Order: sequence, then structure tokens, then C-alpha cells
Amino acid sequence: MTNGWTDIQNADVILAMGGNPAENHPVGFRFVMEAKRNRGAKLVSVDPRFNRTSAVADSFTQIRAGTDIAFLAGLINYCFTHNRIQEEYVRLFTNATFIVHPQYEFKDDAGVFSGWDEATRKYDKSTWNYDIGPDGFAKVDPAMQDPRCVFQMMKHFYARYTPEMVSNICGCSVESFNRAADIITSTYPPDRVGTIMYALGWTHHSFSVQLIHAAAMLQLLLGNIGCAGGGLNALRGHSNIQGGTDCGMAYHNLPGYIAIPKQDQPDLKSFYATLLPKPLRPGVMNFTQNYDRFFVSQMKAYYGLNATNDNEFGYSWHPRLPNGAAPGTYENWSWAYIFDHMSNGMMEGLFSFGMNPVNNGPHSRKAIGALKKLKYLVVAENFETETASFWKPEIIALDEEGTSTADVRTEVFLLPASNFAEKDGSFVNSARWFAWKYKALDPPGDAKTDQEIIARIFLKVRDLYAKEGGKSPEPIRSLNWWYTNPFQPSLDEVAREINGWALGEVKDEKDPKTVVLKAGDQLGKFLDARADGTTLSGNWLYIGSYAAAGNLAQRRVNADPSGMKRFENWGYNWPANRRIMYNRCSADAKGQPWDPKRPVIRWNGEKWVGDVPDYKPDSPPEAGMGAFIMLPEGVARLFVPGQFAEGPFSEFYEPTESPVANVLHPRTSANPGVKPFKGKWDLLGKPDEFPIVATTYRLTEHFHYWTKNNAYSVQLQPEFFVEISEELAREKDLQSGDMVRITSARGSIQGKAMITKRIKPMQVAGKTVHQIGFPIHWGFLGRGKQTGGMANIVTPTIVDPNSFAPEYKGFLVKLEKV
Amino acid sequence: MTTQALEVKNASAGAASPGIRLTEPVAKLIDTSTCIGCKACEVACQEWNDLPAETTVNLGTYQTLPQMTPHFWNLIRFIEVEMNGQLHWLMRKDQCMHCSDPGCLKACPAPGAIVQYQNGIVDFQQENCIGCGYCIAGCPFNVPKLSGQTRKIYKCTLCVDRVSVGLEPACIKACPTNCLSFGTKDALLLKAQKRVDQLKSSGFEAAGIYDPQGVGGTGVVTVLAYADRPEAYGLPANPTIPMSVVLWKQPLKWIGNLAILGGIVGAFLHYLRYGPKHVPEGEKSKQAAGGGPA
Amino acid sequence: MSEQRILPGGRVLRYTLRERILHWLAGLSYIYLLLSGLAFWTPWMWWLAIFLGGGPVAREVHPWMGLIFTFAVVYMYVMWAPDMRITDQDREWRNFIGEYVRNEEEQERDPHKAIRTYQQFAPVGRFNYGQKYLFWVMFWGGIALFVTGMILWFSEYIPWSLRFLRLMSVILHPIAFLVTLAGFIVHVYMGTAVVRGGFTSVIRGEVSVPWARFHHRLWLEKVEAEQAAADNNTMAARK
Repeated sequence: MTNGWTDIQNADVILAMGGNPAENHPVGFRFVMEAKRNRGAKLVSVDPRFNRTSAVADSFTQIRAGTDIAFLAGLINYCFTHNRIQEEYVRLFTNATFIVHPQYEFKDDAGVFSGWDEATRKYDKSTWNYDIGPDGFAKVDPAMQDPRCVFQMMKHFYARYTPEMVSNICGCSVESFNRAADIITSTYPPDRVGTIMYALGWTHHSFSVQLIHAAAMLQLLLGNIGCAGGGLNALRGHSNIQGGTDCGMAYHNLPGYIAIPKQDQPDLKSFYATLLPKPLRPGVMNFTQNYDRFFVSQMKAYYGLNATNDNEFGYSWHPRLPNGAAPGTYENWSWAYIFDHMSNGMMEGLFSFGMNPVNNGPHSRKAIGALKKLKYLVVAENFETETASFWKPEIIALDEEGTSTADVRTEVFLLPASNFAEKDGSFVNSARWFAWKYKALDPPGDAKTDQEIIARIFLKVRDLYAKEGGKSPEPIRSLNWWYTNPFQPSLDEVAREINGWALGEVKDEKDPKTVVLKAGDQLGKFLDARADGTTLSGNWLYIGSYAAAGNLAQRRVNADPSGMKRFENWGYNWPANRRIMYNRCSADAKGQPWDPKRPVIRWNGEKWVGDVPDYKPDSPPEAGMGAFIMLPEGVARLFVPGQFAEGPFSEFYEPTESPVANVLHPRTSANPGVKPFKGKWDLLGKPDEFPIVATTYRLTEHFHYWTKNNAYSVQLQPEFFVEISEELAREKDLQSGDMVRITSARGSIQGKAMITKRIKPMQVAGKTVHQIGFPIHWGFLGRGKQTGGMANIVTPTIVDPNSFAPEYKGFLVKLEKV
Repeated sequence: MTTQALEVKNASAGAASPGIRLTEPVAKLIDTSTCIGCKACEVACQEWNDLPAETTVNLGTYQTLPQMTPHFWNLIRFIEVEMNGQLHWLMRKDQCMHCSDPGCLKACPAPGAIVQYQNGIVDFQQENCIGCGYCIAGCPFNVPKLSGQTRKIYKCTLCVDRVSVGLEPACIKACPTNCLSFGTKDALLLKAQKRVDQLKSSGFEAAGIYDPQGVGGTGVVTVLAYADRPEAYGLPANPTIPMSVVLWKQPLKWIGNLAILGGIVGAFLHYLRYGPKHVPEGEKSKQAAGGGPA
Repeated sequence: MSEQRILPGGRVLRYTLRERILHWLAGLSYIYLLLSGLAFWTPWMWWLAIFLGGGPVAREVHPWMGLIFTFAVVYMYVMWAPDMRITDQDREWRNFIGEYVRNEEEQERDPHKAIRTYQQFAPVGRFNYGQKYLFWVMFWGGIALFVTGMILWFSEYIPWSLRFLRLMSVILHPIAFLVTLAGFIVHVYMGTAVVRGGFTSVIRGEVSVPWARFHHRLWLEKVEAEQAAADNNTMAARK
């Protein structure tokens, strides 16, 4: 979330799209209701199904699963054609004024950007850039009239997405689109603000990053980013997934979103060369240039006193991402790739903690087939999971090769782990609020906390290295295991380490005589960190959370002195306890709030006051430092140079499995950046055999595959079901409660039919398309009717080329009565 | 909410011992226009009241059960309906309405099995319940449920144990969207009216409050966006205590009592006046004097 | 009739053992139903439920007792239905109901007429008109109580859409109860206080010949005739 849950109360318009917050975030959804009750805010729901959010929305538009970019592009075009753009905001805070590279273009009929090589199916991205002047800075046209400026390029690019085109792609009526567009774009005046709430309905596509890019463009045109009640808000799917992502859960990032070192970066210097970017405009803050401080402090947290200036702070011990087969590429170890590597026999073992890959990864049958290739599998869980028991007859039967339980050679260790209520620690919610929690009860039986399990394994492994040596003992033997109880590191100590402290005297950088921090002092702000090894910090984003005042995540002050629903003394909001990111954009060129009734920060003549400014606190507005301090441009990117796989603007591509060819450019129907896996498992269906569009989702009543062990949750939603329109039910002669079989190119599952008015067939590219949907929460183990209704048996292994999120939504199936 | 004194205002079969304290009636407000059907109230109710989970099946709807059960006192009803050419997915929390004039209490023959507290809460006292099920007939909302296991009746208590110590009911505590609130009925009616005005101004012209006067008003006040069509939400349009229950408990009871008394008194008077029949002395010698009229 | 009806010592067998058992099955179950039903009928009578083991017990036993009562009533119907048919004779008897009530069976209505008394005019068969009427009241009342009682017993299984059944039963059950109670009061009063010998007849089954002649002359004559015929047959057989 750029903003926060409580801030949604400040919105005038709320677009819930690519998410179903009433269903999956019912507690946070209260703030939507408060906005409706207290401000008369309008809630717009756009979804493949009329869902729980739609039930309380002011406007609902049904679209075909996977066509969200077309809808958003239609909204962008609506802004241009109806002149619903906050122009001053766009000029100040976005790269709309930048001139693009002279050779950059988009080929309308082919559906590809410049640099496409049809033979190799690869992009040369060199033209996806700005026109760089002789001074090394990008050229700009503040009037935004230059035909090659981003604003004009964008206007032309999105002109194709007329309401009629949106209707033809998405399957909604033109009237319904216009009704929704009218409400959504009504927030373009400076004193009106709208927010977008999205979740996995946007991220589970083969073009998910571009989808969020499109939404960001829309919010920037409307002037909604950085304002109270605005922003682009990702609703995270687990109570602590934000914390997990922050702390390096994805394979290509270290904690704090620092890119992982690569094999062809043998030393710190080569690593820094890509880590620290050059500014693209004069006077920008370009905060990322400080990443060396954060990286070195992180290395000090890993290796403690063993990390010295002489050994480049242990850089050589740190894992580096190996080079890929093609030059300039690196190996991919994201989720779907891990299982692909596993099924290719590239892996010996897997530690699966708090995850159930057989159920929650795409294509369960591939996952089962891959697990059996392992020598060992270690699972730490509260309950027996399908992953830990993949060898059981009814589950291994899904393996394509007809493996039986007796053939499985994998040694499986199921370690009983305590759950979240059985240990203290913290959650970081979608709003980046870092909140401490306390243990409610003891874990049952032999169950241990995750940190104890990990610590005990680590200490055993370290002993083995000490006794027997080994191939590469230094990274293990040098690790800084400083905890009071090495067998069970206290999470309070870990929190202190994540924030970090001074290892020696830290001096002021401008005035070396002043000592800022003594040895042992907790770091208080980002720039307390040093690149010379005098500070230690596990994750720079959390610097300030455990400073001199103690663990701020434990704060429970629900006062709101500003009245702006910021609650700044509740928990800790990274970064720097800032409640609204990019909040410089909430004020105009003079530093005064666009909407005086909803100020976030304002320039009082000396400094910025209000929320913690996402800006240099004493930089006057007339100095013109860019509002986006993390970017070398200093402004938000409507046009994204070089970063994404499929282009600098967000273009609509069909899902990889689609019932129709892309009406804009049939030659390039699906995302050209997608690289499908080529294994025997990785099958795709064609619409003539699998004519129905399917989507998967979660239910309020369940949490993932976990609550199928809870009698109350099972009671609320007892069995796997499939939501089917009345029209399709008539075609297939189905009644509610009948058993149906869903089959995709990957597999088939059975469930109860739920016939509903809430899904309707749609007209897409001149053809009637039916959609069905089914929730994910069932499997083979647990209470109630666990008869293998596991949604991911049918989902494809296609992943987004940027985020590597699987395409769980918008794939093809057929439906039969059992 | 301050601590409520639990004095009984009314009880089944005339077993009331009227309290003297002035207690304001309490109520629950259900704003169906902001209910998202999350069912938190369903489980909160079960957990607070230590009720076991039900074994359910999917019946082609999101609704947990077709109706309430002895273990399940709080049910969200999910109704898909097209009105004014628009699809609506109505969600309404169904539970005991805590009528001011409770039909269950009227129908109950067991003294003190159903009580109505001064604060308006209608509560079943299982130790006095005889399991006859007459309350089922008396209720216009299909609420009381007889347990086959214990042969007693169960339903929402409006968390009388929580309310009596100044807490709000469990369902209200659990509601994430604040579509539920608790307070004195007067305050809640004002709040409900405010919400109705809001709904009207955002285009729901038929919005209104459901507080049916046929049962004297209810302790559960419901805001409906389509108050002209309560049936669409599964609510009776004009609920009253069923006519047969009223006839039975009022005229018939008194007519019956008089008739029984009359019968006994009549027999007694007859005996006083005429006494027993005597078989005549001479009967033995007498011969049949000539048959019948044939 | 297999049983010997004319007994030694001037006695006549009025009710067979089976009839007596069934009568008391019906009677005692009715008394239980009445007592427990009265407890449910009005809080004034609630003490009866305490007396019967408490409200829940009374409520639990009441429907089972109802089944016994229904069984007995139906069985009586099978046994007695032919005897209970209302005849022309009964309709004549009805004209003398006033005399019957005032115990004026022997009183001469009009001394100048040949048929002067009720006894002469409207001789009674096995059951008089009042008894027959009681039987039909109890039979149809019993059926009504049974049907409505079953609905009330399984009240929780009646779907909401069929709730009119429950609502009808709520009112019909007590109405049927009141009707049968009226019959019951008259029956008990007549059988014990007014018609002396009636009570013992349904205990031991016997009445005196004069009693039978007074109350059920036609029946006695029929029994005597049958007995005579049977005796003749036996004699003939012996020969």
C-alpha cells in the first residue's frame, strides 16, 4: 500500500478491482464503509464475478478475467478524451514532460514495441529510454506539447482503447464502462481524491506488473498518488506477507529490496556499479545512491566482526545469483522455477516452512511429480499438509508417471511448528505497519517455534562444518549468531538487529568531530547507517523501528492528533514511520495542500510539516527536488524506461490461455515477454477443447489451506464448489448441488455446482464467452469433505516475466456434469 | 453501556416477578446495506456461547445453513435477487428479533421458561423449559430451535451475560464493518434514521427501518435499502403473533376454564338434586311389559 | 359369543376381560393426558406437572401416553363400532332425555296410555344413546388429538412453508381436549355416582340381571335368547 488502511476513510471514490476486499480483507474493509458512511464515498467494483464487495458497491461492472489492462487503458483514454487530468500535478510529479528516445515506437498492428526481434522472440530494450541530452540528463518539455514527450506519446498510445474497444475485449457493456469511468475519473480535481484497492486479482496474471503499472498511470493522471484518501493500495494476502517480502523473501532481493549480487559481479565495486544509479535530472535526491550503506550494514548483521573492510565485508561469502544459459541473464529461482528445476532433477532437498506448495503453487501435479525427485523434504507446519504427505496414495496418484507410494524415495521430515498465536513476534500489514504481537498460548506437544527449528538446524550444521570441514565453510562458520539463547533466538533481539546499531562511534558526515551515535546505540534514521562497517542493520527499511525509545512496534496509542486518520503513534510504519508514501505529491508547487481539508504535508516556510515527509525535510518547494526521491528521474514513471519485460507503456495482451485472439493485434495475442516452461507438464489448452474462462479465488470463511483443519471454518464453507452462471447451467443441464468436473490441459477436479445470477456470460470479440470461478481452499487432508478438490490441479505454469507470479486467474477449462 | 440490572419484566405462564428499576430497552442495529456477509458474527456467537460446530453441506449458496439450529443462533442469509433491473446480493443477519411483544413468550406453557428482562432482552431459561415447542408456533420469525439431544429450546440470548456486565454482544464485537451496533433502542433508532437518510440521498428511495409494530417493535432494528420489500430479505412484511396462538391464549383459555368449571359444578348440582338411579325393587318379578313400540 | 354371558347367581357378563382392559387403558391414559394437559393448559394447574415428575417429564410422557390412548380408542372402535351405531330406537330415547336426567325412568308420563313409562317406550340395547354419543365424541376427539398432537410433537420438523399446520394444531388440540373433557366429566359422573353398578361392571365385568333389565333391557333379552339357543344346541349335540 502506498497509503494505509485507515487512510481509506479519506477517499471520495474507491475502486476495488483485481481484489475483493470485502471477501478477503473484511477487517480493513471497514474503512471503506466508514468512507461511505461518513463522506458519502462511492465504491466501484470491477470483477469477473458479482462478489461480496460488489454487493455493497455503488457500481458494478463485470469483466472477463484477465482483461483488466484493457479496462484500465480505457479509463486512461477516458481521462484524455474527457480532459479529466490533474494537469499541474502531472507536470510536477511525473515524467510526462520527458522526451522519449528518438527510435522508441510501438507498432500498432504487430502489437510490439521497438526492439522486437521476431526470430529470437526477444526485445532489445535500448530504445525504451529517454532522449538523453549532452549533459547526461533527460530532455524535457514542461509544456508537454512536444509530440515525443511522454504525455503526448501516452495520449496517442491509449487512444485505441475506446469504450467500444473496452467492451469488445472485456465483455462489459459500453454503458457499464462509461458509468464506472465517470465515477472513477471524477477524482481529477485537486480537491477530490480516489483510491484503488487491488490484490491477487491483478498480480496473478502473465502481465501482472504491467497491470499495476497501468493503474499507477491512471492514479497519476488523476493526481491521486501521495494524497490522503488516494494512492495505489495492494492488499496483501497474508497477515505478514508484507514483512516477508520486506525481509528478502523473493529470490532476487535481499532484505530491504536491495538487488541480490550476481555471479558476474565478483567484487563490491562491480556490485555497486549496478546498485547505485546516476541521477537523470538535476537536483533530484536519488536516495538509492545510499544503498551501499544499507548493504554493508546488512553484511555486518550477517557476519558481524568477521566482515571487515579487508574482505569487502564478506561479499565473497554472500550467495550470488548464477549466470543463466543466455548471456546477460541470470538463473531464476522464483516459485514456479524452483519446481521446474526440481522436476528436472536439479535439486536434492527442500525446506518448506509455512508453505504448502502442492496446494498453493500452480499445477499441483507438476509439484507432486517434482517433490518425488527430492532426496529429502523438510516441512515445518502446524498441521499435516498435502506437501508433507505428497507420497500418500491418493495424492501421489496425481503424478502423471503413475508413481505409487512404494516408489517414492524422498525422505520426508515433518517438524511440528507453533503457529502465530503460539509465539510472540510481529506482523507487518499491507499498510507497512509493523505491529508487535504477544504469545497467546503454548504450542502443543513437541511443537517448536520456527526460529528454534532454524537455529537448531543451523547450529548442528555449523558443528558439522567445524568437525568435518566442507566445500565452502566460511559463510556458515562466519555467521554472526550473537543471540542470548542461540537455540532459540528471541524475536525481540532479532527486531533490534533488523533495526541495527552502531558498532563503533558514528560521526556526523559533515562535521566529523561530532559523535552521532556511540557504540551499541540503536540506529535512529536511515542515514545513520554507514558504508564503512561502523554500523549493523538487518534491513534498512526498518531503521527507526527499534531506536533509542525501544520497540516502537509495540506502541498502541490510538490517538489521531491530526484528525487525518494517520494514527502515527500506533506501531511503526516503515519507512521512517511515514504513513503516506510519495506524500510530497499531496502539495502543489508552493508546498500547500491541493485539498486544504485533507493536508498530508505542507511547507511552513522552514520545513515540511504533517506526516513524515517523503522528501528532504528542509528542501523548499521552489528548489524543485523531485517528489519521487527513490528514482533517478525524481518523478513518477508513466513511461518506464527499460525495466519491464514487455514495454515501457502498459499494453493489453490476452492471458496465455484465452478464448479469443487479441482484437488489437492478433499476431501478438499474449504477452510476448512470457517464457513458457517447456517440460512435459507444462501444457496449454486451446479454446476449441477448453472453451470456458476460469478464475480462482479465496473465501472469507477460510484462510488458504490452513483452516480446513478448523471445525468452525469448515462448517461455514464445507466443500469445494464451482460458481456457474444460470445460462451455462442451462446449457449443461445443471442444478445447484450437482457434481461437476472441471478439466484443463493440466488435470481435472470435481466439485459441487453453485448456480448463480452473479456471473453472466459475455460477448467478447463477437463471441459468447462463459466464465466460471472456484475457490482454492480444499485438498486431501483436513476436516470435512477433503476429496481432492484442489483448485491448482488445473492452473497453468505460466508466470509473469517480471514478478514471476503464476497466472492463476484467467485460464481455460471445460465443464461437465458428473 | 453501563451494567444492566437483570430484572424480569415479563415471563411465560405468568411467572413474572416484576422488577422496579427503570431500565432502558436495549437493541441491536443491523445495517444490511453495509453487511458484507463475512460470517464473523456467526462464529463469534458460537464461540462466546460455547456452541459446537455444525456439520454442513454446500447447498449451492454461500449461506452456512438453510436455517438456524440449536447450535447456530446467528445466520447470515444470502439472497440473490434482481430488482429494478439490477442484481442485488442481499445479506442479512438473521437471529432472534427480541420482540417487545414476544409470541414465543405468549405461547409458552412452562412458567418462567421464557423471560423478558426489563431491558427488553427475551431469553430462554432452559432449566424451566419443558421442550414442548409451542414457542416455535408463537414466533413469526422462525427463530426458536428445539434440540433433539436435550429436548430444550435454544436461540440468541442477545448475549445477556455480556450485556448484564456492560459488554456488547459477541456478534457486534466481531463485526468488521460496523454494520452492527448495540445501544439503547432510542439511540439506535436515531442512528438508523441517519443511515436511512444517507441511503435515500444516494438513490435508495425506499430505504427504511424495519422495526415491525405488529410485535410491538423489535430489539433488533434493521436498516433495509429496500424497506418496501422486506420479503426480499427473508423478513415477513407485517409480522404478528399468529392468530391461532392469540385465540388459544386469550378467548379459548377463558371459555375453556369456564366450561370445565361449569361441568364439574353442574355434575355436583345434579347429584344434589337428583342423586343416583335406583334399579326398582320389583324388577326381579316384573316381566317385560310389552317390548318396544314395534 | 364364545364367553358365557349368563352367569350363575343371577349375574350377567356385561364386559369381557379384553373390553375391560381396553377401557382402562383408554381411561387411565386419558387421565394422565388430562392431568398433564391441564398443567400445560394453564399455569394454575402447573402443580399437576410437578406432581407428575416435573414439566419436562410430563411433556415427555404426554405424547407417548397419547399414543396409548389413540391405540385404545382405535381398538375400541374395532370392537364396539357395530354396537355404537345410532339407531331409530336411540332417536326415540332422545325424546326422554329429560326423564333420564331427572331419574324418572319409572315415572308414568300419561297414566291413561298403554305405554306409560320411558322404560317401556324406549328400551335400551347394550349401550344407550348417551353412551354411544360419548363413544363417538371420544373417538373423533381422540383422532383429532392424535393428528394435532403428532404435529405438535414434531413441531421442529414442520417446514416454515407448512407452518399453518402447526398453527392450526395449536388451536385445534385444546379445542378437541375441551370437547373430550366434557364427555369425560359426564362419563365419570354417570358411571360412578349416578348409575350405581356401572363402575363395578367395568371392573369385574358383571351386572345383576335386574340391573341389566333396568338399564339395557333389549341387550339382556338378546343375551338370554342367545344363551337359550346355545343351550338347546348343546342339548341337541348331547343327544
